Amino acid sequence: MSKTMVRLVAAALFLTATLPAAAQQYPDRPVKLIVPWAAGGDTDNIFRPFAPLMQKHLGQPFVIANVSGASGTTGAREAKSAPPDGYTVYAVHDYIHSVYYVGITDINYWDFEPVCLISATPSVLTASAKTPWSDWKSLLEDAKKRPGQISVGATLGSTSHFFPALIEKAAGIKFKYVSYDGLAPRMNALLGGHIDLTDSNLTQKGKVDAGLLKFIAIASDQRDPEMSSVPTLKELGVDVSFEVSRGLLVPKGTPAPVRAKLEDACKKATAEPEFAKAMKLQGTQARFLDANAYAAFLKKNDEVNKDIARDLGLLKR
Amino acid sequence: MFELLGQALIDIVQWKYLLPLFVGTLVGVIGGSLPGVTITMTVIVVLPFTFGLDPLQGLACMTGVYVGGSAGGLITACLLGIPGTPSAIATTFDGFPMARNGEPGRAVWLGVWSSFFGGLLGGVFLILVTGPLAALALEFGPWEYFSLFVLALAMVAGLTEGSLVKGLLSGAIGMLITVIGTDPIMGVPRFTFDSPFLAGGFPFLPVLIGVFAFSQIMSDVEKLRQPGAATTAAARPMLSVSQLKVIGEILTRPVLLLWSTIVGIVIGVLPAIGGSAANMLAWDQARKMSKTPDRFGKGTPEGIIASESSNNANVGGSLVTIMAFGIPGDAVTAVMLGAMTIHGIQSGPLFVSQQPKLAYGIYAAYIVAHVLMVAVIAATALLLLRMTRIRLAVLAPVVLTLCVVGAYALNNTMAGIYVLLIFGVVGYLLVKGGFPLAPLILGLILGDQIELNLVRSIMSDPDPWLFITRPISGGLLLAAAISVALAIWQHLRHRERQAEAEPDF
Repeated sequence: MSKTMVRLVAAALFLTATLPAAAQQYPDRPVKLIVPWAAGGDTDNIFRPFAPLMQKHLGQPFVIANVSGASGTTGAREAKSAPPDGYTVYAVHDYIHSVYYVGITDINYWDFEPVCLISATPSVLTASAKTPWSDWKSLLEDAKKRPGQISVGATLGSTSHFFPALIEKAAGIKFKYVSYDGLAPRMNALLGGHIDLTDSNLTQKGKVDAGLLKFIAIASDQRDPEMSSVPTLKELGVDVSFEVSRGLLVPKGTPAPVRAKLEDACKKATAEPEFAKAMKLQGTQARFLDANAYAAFLKKNDEVNKDIARDLGLLKR
Repeated sequence: MFELLGQALIDIVQWKYLLPLFVGTLVGVIGGSLPGVTITMTVIVVLPFTFGLDPLQGLACMTGVYVGGSAGGLITACLLGIPGTPSAIATTFDGFPMARNGEPGRAVWLGVWSSFFGGLLGGVFLILVTGPLAALALEFGPWEYFSLFVLALAMVAGLTEGSLVKGLLSGAIGMLITVIGTDPIMGVPRFTFDSPFLAGGFPFLPVLIGVFAFSQIMSDVEKLRQPGAATTAAARPMLSVSQLKVIGEILTRPVLLLWSTIVGIVIGVLPAIGGSAANMLAWDQARKMSKTPDRFGKGTPEGIIASESSNNANVGGSLVTIMAFGIPGDAVTAVMLGAMTIHGIQSGPLFVSQQPKLAYGIYAAYIVAHVLMVAVIAATALLLLRMTRIRLAVLAPVVLTLCVVGAYALNNTMAGIYVLLIFGVVGYLLVKGGFPLAPLILGLILGDQIELNLVRSIMSDPDPWLFITRPISGGLLLAAAISVALAIWQHLRHRERQAEAEPDF
């Protein structure tokens, strides 16, 4: 046994060894994609089907490394300090702005170079089956009667906190927040009736069909064809549209030719019908933006998030 | 349910899954049979090698390790009188005398088949109970979880041999380690001294490998030059025996088998106790129930049946708790839970209903692993016996290297290795100081969860009395208080007895 083990160790060491490479031949070895959340979350679920398509168009393995911890900032820190050679790519979503402005980290999007945007997932205000509300109207009436009493599960400082907070502001109501980091624990708490409301998305459709949850309203501009019975917040008179956008970044200083190669592979990967199909399963729209458009998007999104943080009284910078 | 299980069984015997399951079982049996290499350590070492497999392949492999490891300890326990793992301690009481009385084959095979039947009965329980228990787990709010974790910590601290104070301290140290890094609610840095290394806190798996595997190997290395542990058993014991007769011996004692299995399952379900307690308790129960208690410890088959059926049933019980609540019971299950997370599985109340394919795949792997375990032991028992004579000087560096590779592979960063080194030293010092490590590990696993659920409770409703007035939560806290009180009482009684016994010396 020991011999086999030793061989396995040798193989493992060899695989992880880094070999020198020149930029013009990029990529000539596997590329690592840092997903700053644990395996099995929404972000992981979206990048898992994306990775093999990137691999197809890059011609090198595109390997996901889940580096989770500290509200996704551990992975961000590791991505930032990685050598800017294109062999470390960072899978990001809108939390990068919010965690900066609420003071959880000092890293923001400007520590990276944009590559592309790949997807957008509209948020859905979701209620526990144990709540009495049948629709937004009854929820609104109840919320006006009991300010600060209705509990919302949220990852504090992240998108699932900002979304209900925007609804609060637009509708003139007040919720009570309870910290549940990540969608999976929030779902457990919602099913058990330990919280009343949370931010989720269409991935939870199965539980709604089974009568375990209630979708109150979706934060997209139009109803989703897959779930056309769910009204949009806008048509209910609540002027909130909110979605979580996910994209790729690389460390600042990554050479332009390398970025162009990644951008090109990303464009081709997101255009694959397979990608659109996988995203549909996640209640997500495939949405490609090239590096320039993504840069503009990030800049605008950053200001939006700063404003929200200020409005919510969470702004620390 | 039976259709799902049938389908899962058909899937699992495909090569794609059977091969990792077989390799896992084989490595588990080997790890379990090597004295000084615990199941926990084997599981830790194997885990990184499953990273590249698909989830069910990886989990089948890990389930194989867990099942194989729980049975593997019996070989050396019976033939050499050295338990391969702590879960085979009670097997030595009767297995070794029986082997010395000229019936080594009977001893080993009694153990193997008891493991098989105990494990399968545990499997029935696993399949029937996980679903309903998961439904109950949904009713657990933050108050109930908080109280459940407190109970788990109180129990493990109270159950450790030696000092209760050291057990509680060890649990507290574990919880303190989780305080370092950003807090789990708002990400406020605590004790990080602006160092990026500390900013994320200490990742769980490297700390676990350091404290558990590393420190244990180091203390084994210390004993390298000490004579004594060398084995002088017969070079080639005859293991052939009538299998039917042995199986008959077990099945004609249905009450004993069932009761030992129940003991194993209950201890498995309860967080924080683990296989090493299950086999001792089952053995003790069997002796108390037996009509011939004086034959225990002298080679009675009942002792082997009790010990071995309970430790494999314990695996089934603890899988229930991981799958339904997402709570690890002890160090082994903590790593198993980590394995699930790494393979992209959120275990917890929704796991079985949302991912029936995976859940039933694990059940099927668990059942098939028992069959494989019997086959593996049949084929390799004598070989394994030889392997236990591999010099520690050869074995220790291999295991140490695998520890380091495992710590690196977790996040592919060097930080994991530094954490491993730091906690290797910490664990070693604690072992030297006579601190039990199990409470530390549990404190480490539960620290963040206790804090999170405490904060969640208060955020949901600021009334502190809810912890006591909510019936389940109150009951759990009461049980925690009782378990500490019981531990104190037992220690006192133990001391009194020692005082009485002293004049005899």
